[in-house]
Amino acid sequence: MMLRYFKSSPLGRAAAVLLITGTLAAGNTAAQPNQPSAAPAAADFIQPVTQRDHIRGNPDAPVKIVEFADTECPLCKRFHPTLQRIVAEYPGKVAWVFRHFPLDNIHPKARKEAEATECANDLGGNEKFWAYLDRLYKITPSNNRLDPAELPRIAEYVGLNRAKFEQCLESGKYAQRVAEDLDDALAAGAQGTPYTVVVAPNGRKFAILGAQPYASVKLVVEIALQQKK
Amino acid sequence: MTAMDKPHLIRTSVEAAKEVFARPAYLGLAVAIALAAFLASLWIPNYKLIGAVFITPDVTLDTKLQLLASLLAGISTNFGAFAAFSAATIPLLFGVDIAMLVYFLRRRRARLPHGEIAASVGGAASGVVAAGCAACGSFLLVTILSFLGASGALALLPLQGGELGLLSIALLLLSIFLIARKIAAPVVCEIKPPAQPPGNAPPLEERP
Repeated sequence: MMLRYFKSSPLGRAAAVLLITGTLAAGNTAAQPNQPSAAPAAADFIQPVTQRDHIRGNPDAPVKIVEFADTECPLCKRFHPTLQRIVAEYPGKVAWVFRHFPLDNIHPKARKEAEATECANDLGGNEKFWAYLDRLYKITPSNNRLDPAELPRIAEYVGLNRAKFEQCLESGKYAQRVAEDLDDALAAGAQGTPYTVVVAPNGRKFAILGAQPYASVKLVVEIALQQKK
Repeated sequence: MTAMDKPHLIRTSVEAAKEVFARPAYLGLAVAIALAAFLASLWIPNYKLIGAVFITPDVTLDTKLQLLASLLAGISTNFGAFAAFSAATIPLLFGVDIAMLVYFLRRRRARLPHGEIAASVGGAASGVVAAGCAACGSFLLVTILSFLGASGALALLPLQGGELGLLSIALLLLSIFLIARKIAAPVVCEIKPPAQPPGNAPPLEERP
């Protein structure tokens, strides 16, 4: 009966189109190769912050901001200074954790760039990881337009040994590490980048999608800081 | 219909819009729909955040409202110039389109014409797809193209999928024009002119 209504009435056909569109929109996830197709919709499955992570700010800060980002995403580039400002304005209170979420289907270069940041970490530690990431975001035109030849140049710029860096990048030794972060992003409910989860001291999580304004992020950090253990 | 009688696209649309929006109720309806669609496009991508903040104990109503207000500034941080233009224009055209459709249906008490409904729904649907991007990779388009194995093509598009915004605007404009033409058409029966010389003329035929 309902099927007949959808077929016969123009309004019914319109409703069917909107229904299908809405269903697709609701189930919209950034599908990745070799990844689970369905991800949980909440940020409850995020991996805890450990020494394995790249952390800017006080690692023991009560509030952790876990960002899943793609280095070729223009919105991640735009959001980077927002989080730099947040960490600077809440010294000791906020820690920024960076995890990789390269979107292969729209930015095929991003996965190798993610590995490049890991090589920077390998050769120079946490400080060089962030220096490399800051520089990469600064010079990339985004949308998959960074020349791969820039990757060793950035390494040199931040004071790393170019030859060792190139050797690390070519070995692909951090491909697995990047893939693990990507798994975590999907499990945390990320459907695009930047995807940022603000974790309060009591474990309550606030997931922010997109390059939201500084005022919004600051407000969420303030709310998180009020959540006592 | 002669060349002189052919409806002029812009003039017809403007005349019909004047007729519809001279009535405050339809102007209000268009504004309400446009505003709702605009707010939805900025808030829905962060429904998880809004939900989490709204159910968190001890967060004041003032703070909750501040969050909603601050997220509106996402139009400048979350979108490029072209996407921001689409994000503002699509809800506006959608509001105008729906208000004119309602006016037409109420005035004529007619069934919705197929062409108009198709353009209207197409415009709205592509608007949903186009406006779905508050983050890289969150395009509905990416999912569809991934399914078709053609998502890499998105990177080749000059506007990286922003073309859907243009499509949406074009479809909504088409829908508005089609409805405007219906509204502007006189509510009388038109007499078909005789096709044969007088003497052999068939009986006059009425068509609505």
